[in-house]
Amino acid sequence: MSAEAQPLAPAPRGPLARSRSIPGGAEDAASARTSPMLRALPKLRQRQKGLIGGIIALLALALTIVLAVNIHMANSQYTVVELQNQHLALVQSNQALTEEVQHLQSPQALSNTAVGLGMVMPAEAAALELSDGEVIGTAEAADSGDRPSSFVAAPAVPGADAAAPLNVSESVTGAPSGILGAGALNTLIETPSGQNGQETSAGTQDQFSPTELNGGTIPAPSFD
Amino acid sequence: MAAAQKKRAERVLSFRMRIGLTLILVMLLLLGGRLFHVQGLDPAGNAEAAVSERLRSVPLPAHRGDILDSEGRVLATSVNRYDLVVDQAVVEDFERSDEATGLREEVTVRTGIAELGEVLDRSTEELTERIVGESRYSVVARSLTPEQSEQALEIGLPGLYAEPVSERSYPSGAVAGSIIGFMGADGPLEGIEAAQDEALSGIDGERIYEVGGDGVRIPVATYEELPAEDGQDVRLTVDQDLQWFAQESIAKKANQYNAAWGNATVLDLTTGEILAMADSETVDPAEPGETDELFRRPLALTQDFEPGSTGKAITFAMALEEGTLNPTDGFTVDNRYEVDGQTISDATRHPTLDMTAAGIFARSYNTGTVMIGGEIPEETRYDYMRRVGLGEPLDIGLGTEANSVLRPPEEWDARQHLTTQFGQGYTTSVLHNLQAFQTMTNGGVDVPLRLIDAYVDADGTEHPVQTEPGERVFSEETSEEMLRMFEGVVDYGTGTEAAVSGYRVGGKSGIAEAAGAGGGFDGHTQSFIGMAPLDDPQYLVSVTVHRPEGYWRDWEVTDTFREIMSYVLSSYDQAPSGAKSDAYDGFEGENQDQPW
Repeated sequence: MSAEAQPLAPAPRGPLARSRSIPGGAEDAASARTSPMLRALPKLRQRQKGLIGGIIALLALALTIVLAVNIHMANSQYTVVELQNQHLALVQSNQALTEEVQHLQSPQALSNTAVGLGMVMPAEAAALELSDGEVIGTAEAADSGDRPSSFVAAPAVPGADAAAPLNVSESVTGAPSGILGAGALNTLIETPSGQNGQETSAGTQDQFSPTELNGGTIPAPSFD
Repeated sequence: MAAAQKKRAERVLSFRMRIGLTLILVMLLLLGGRLFHVQGLDPAGNAEAAVSERLRSVPLPAHRGDILDSEGRVLATSVNRYDLVVDQAVVEDFERSDEATGLREEVTVRTGIAELGEVLDRSTEELTERIVGESRYSVVARSLTPEQSEQALEIGLPGLYAEPVSERSYPSGAVAGSIIGFMGADGPLEGIEAAQDEALSGIDGERIYEVGGDGVRIPVATYEELPAEDGQDVRLTVDQDLQWFAQESIAKKANQYNAAWGNATVLDLTTGEILAMADSETVDPAEPGETDELFRRPLALTQDFEPGSTGKAITFAMALEEGTLNPTDGFTVDNRYEVDGQTISDATRHPTLDMTAAGIFARSYNTGTVMIGGEIPEETRYDYMRRVGLGEPLDIGLGTEANSVLRPPEEWDARQHLTTQFGQGYTTSVLHNLQAFQTMTNGGVDVPLRLIDAYVDADGTEHPVQTEPGERVFSEETSEEMLRMFEGVVDYGTGTEAAVSGYRVGGKSGIAEAAGAGGGFDGHTQSFIGMAPLDDPQYLVSVTVHRPEGYWRDWEVTDTFREIMSYVLSSYDQAPSGAKSDAYDGFEGENQDQPW
């Protein structure tokens, strides 16, 4: 420190100042006097080199790690969004199918389907008592015109608003062959139920609000 | 000399350094102080403000429970729907790639709206009004299915996005609609949805976490999650298929006579479970506004009327119980009967007949009934009527109580002590009638009626509704005798049309005069309540038609009863017994075929 501080000192005076300005033997004498102070420098520089190299390497490593983590996070986020979309599509198609099943299970839909198949209301049935072979009651043939009434409105088909208008020719081809009368007529009158929901696309759905997207194309990592 | 100079230089240096060092220290102290001020003392509450800025609380909505029928079929459930919303400021012409050619094409807002109109089935004008403007938030369409909303978004109109909402869905529509009830914009309004809301709705949860400036969660910061507690499913005693069948039957009947309303109710008389409660018209819970207000709640609860001749059963049962009557006791019955200065007449001008009590019951003669009921003091009669549930509200867990008006004997007018014997002068609801008949046919034990079978937790744990033990009103012997009397009605009395081939069926018909708004009677209530199989009574079916149009002798509700009872017996696996009738003789002597 003192070696470096010397030039900072006021005007150079005395033998030390002179020896600095005089080249040749005088300099040798001066250098011989100051050499112990300067000898340390090369060593120091060598150590610094290693240190700087180390720091640079560390920085590079940190940068690489940060970069790798970021790339990984970004990639994972895309995977997450993709899987979320897949999950959503599956949940939705599952729900659409469940709704369709529930709709088809409703008594009105069952009744319509039955009439479409040519079924009519039952007449009186008789029973056979197995223990003594006795016939209980008198069986009657069902009246082919006795269709169930339909006072109770059929439930709204889920998403019926979006259903395509009824194409009569399609209904005819969809009708079971060989029915006459009530059944065939019914297939023409009734919309084939469950028209919607048959094609639940498994495609991804970009149902993200602008706030979720925050200007990007996929939402930031979150819980949902 | 050099050493002295060096020493001096060092002194100067150390002095300057001290100044610098002091300066640095002072600054450090300042900074430290400020740091302590900001972080440690925090007088402006910055730390708190920062945390609340970072803190995000997301509600975790609880899933609303389903309403199920007795077989576990879904009557009401929650589904995911989307509201289509637009940020009008962003709406502009846009580009998209043509599916067929793969080329970019310009699409104007008008074309986009027209395409949207096709997907949503709405008019272009209506959509233009909602899409074009300055508003940052405008709802274009509500409750679209996921499929519809996907189709709408595929058009690619800028600013259009879908917001998920939970919606109530009723897969069976108007079947049991008045029992299920419906939801309004702010919550449940009627029926089970409203009455059982607490069980159905569950408890919402919450998730709390901190986010950074970019909206991403800080992984090591606060994280709390209060899981949502999903609502319970409510399982009813109602059978969806039977309910539908009964609704069709009663609608057909009410339509036939152009009646004000009709009701058909089916009861498991051993357990008090209501299997069906059908009205001639029923609200569709998805569209409650489209149905007349009368039909938005179950008529079996909301409507009370004078029961008429079905009420005679109570008079006969109490006479048997009190020991003042035997079913085969003989009476001479004219079509008019004078008592206490009041004239009681029968509906038909029949000749004077020598009848048994069972015959009077089967033919539903008012004159004979008054002869029998007159033997019992008014107070006792009133007491029995109260014990079978008349004159007090009846609650089955639907939020609405069924009403019955029965004044105490002190308040009866000169005629009421006679009319109450044959079902006039007091009012009952369908459920009150069924409760009384249930007591008479179930060995004399009054079992409370119920509509809710069980609550089912989200994990499937069932909590059956605890039933109160029944209360004995009549002896088993009285009940047995009543069953044979009921059988007489169907065998040779006023309800022959109610017979179901292969089964022993009993019942009681009734035509009551209905009081009008201005006092006096201006209409009728036609009803039939019957039970089967009489070998071991299981089911009660009540059919009521209020204010039918036409002539009273043409009205017939027993065919509707037969239709529903046949359905009940066959769908609940009741084997036909083919057993012979056990009804009492209706007339004294050999000739059982007397003129009406």
